[in-house]
Amino acid sequence: MTLISALLIFVALILYILGQLFLKHAMESDLRSRRFTKFLVAGLVAMTISFFITLGLLQHFDLSYLYPFQGLSVVIISILAAVILREKLTPRLFLGAALISGGVVLVSLS
Amino acid sequence: MIQKAKELLLNPWFQLCLTVLLVTTSELFLKRGAVEAPRLPAGVNWTGVSGLASANVWYGILFVIASFISWLYVLRFIPLTIAYPLSNFVHVLIPLSSWFFLDEIISTRRWCGIALVLIGVLIVAKPVARMEEKL
Repeated sequence: MTLISALLIFVALILYILGQLFLKHAMESDLRSRRFTKFLVAGLVAMTISFFITLGLLQHFDLSYLYPFQGLSVVIISILAAVILREKLTPRLFLGAALISGGVVLVSLS
Repeated sequence: MIQKAKELLLNPWFQLCLTVLLVTTSELFLKRGAVEAPRLPAGVNWTGVSGLASANVWYGILFVIASFISWLYVLRFIPLTIAYPLSNFVHVLIPLSSWFFLDEIISTRRWCGIALVLIGVLIVAKPVARMEEKL
């Protein structure tokens, strides 16, 4: 794995996570407000770019190699939702998210 | 009767289940479509664009769009720390349905991973179920 592909995997993951956070933020606002439109578009753009980077990466790597990174998104999204969106993250929710991440990684390793 | 159906449709937890089912259905259609798609010369094959010739791929796309809409509805009402982990139930449902409908083989290690995801989902879901009962 070259530095560039590592960077691309990282960027794709970050954009996907940001996309989810943007969409969540958009849906919490008034549907006629500018904030809603702005964050909905931002979320869609972030996810679209992430999608095409992943598509490009799939040409060079196996899906089973790229999938674990996707699995990490569960834990990261939970943490960022708590930090940025001020959602409540109980130890129990965190444990659940960690197990799901672990499970997704295990599924893709086999 | 119609009132009941409407209440169900507007229930975010029902919509979350719907998202998971729609995503799973879309993946099954996309897989079927991708397999039957015509093979293009190596140079242009990587985009998967030839898949658009298959009706199954278009059904898949429709289900993807529907799942996205129901997911947006879910986001309006359920915190991300709960909704996102629960949506990962697709990692249980997709392998199970590709085993059942597409005759794919699942290794022991993969079954273990699926079980781990399931346990994680149940751990997140249980306090939520209790919370809902009180409402």
